Amino acid sequence: MSSLQGYVDRRVLLILQDGRVIVFPASKPNANPQGVMVGFDQKSNVVLSDSKERIYSIDAGVEEAPLGLYLVKGDMIVLIGELDDAVDQAVDLGTIHAEPIPPIRY
Amino acid sequence: MLPLSLLNAAQNKPMLVELKNGETFNGHLVNCDNFMNITLREVYQTNTEGDRFWKLKECYIRGSTIKYLRVPDTLLDAVKEEQNRARDAGRGARGAFVSGNRGRGAPSRGGRGGRGGPMRGGRGRGRGV
Repeated sequence: MSSLQGYVDRRVLLILQDGRVIVFPASKPNANPQGVMVGFDQKSNVVLSDSKERIYSIDAGVEEAPLGLYLVKGDMIVLIGELDDAVDQAVDLGTIHAEPIPPIRY
Repeated sequence: MLPLSLLNAAQNKPMLVELKNGETFNGHLVNCDNFMNITLREVYQTNTEGDRFWKLKECYIRGSTIKYLRVPDTLLDAVKEEQNRARDAGRGARGAFVSGNRGRGAPSRGGRGGRGGPMRGGRGRGRGV
């Protein structure tokens, strides 16, 4: 059985059905276990501490909006992936211009 | 930590609920259940565009319509502490149960049974899974 247990206390990236990208970035290297997935349940509902939303746009760099302690319903989740800290921090988000992910439409 | 234990601990705390259609509800949590159905009081509702607002005394939200909940950061520490307390208390209580209840139904073998003797582990916590 596939499980989210391996992501607990890790920094993860979430993509939701409405196209939002939520991350749990430790803003400073080696900052304590902040910005991590703290829990989940059978329905893939997840709890994320110190989360941020990454807002992509074509004509501006990536903006990070702090969200704080978040409980996301499993229904809405498209993808959960572990973030590679080193790689993630090597990226200068301000220089990245990208089309936002469109929401799923039924 | 289970999402629902966080939600339970959020009772009487302020929270923001966004529905799948984008409407948001700001209010204090009155009650919730395992489906994540919730009731809020003193609610500010906004429409999907975020340009219209309503004030509601109280409202009920069906869990299945919720996209996410945003709760106060301080709640995380509160729940962790509560869980630690519960775990410690549980450990203490179970310890007492094992040593105090040896007599009940156990073969009468010198009363308490020595530590690590053949009785040990006889009546445990079920078979586990």
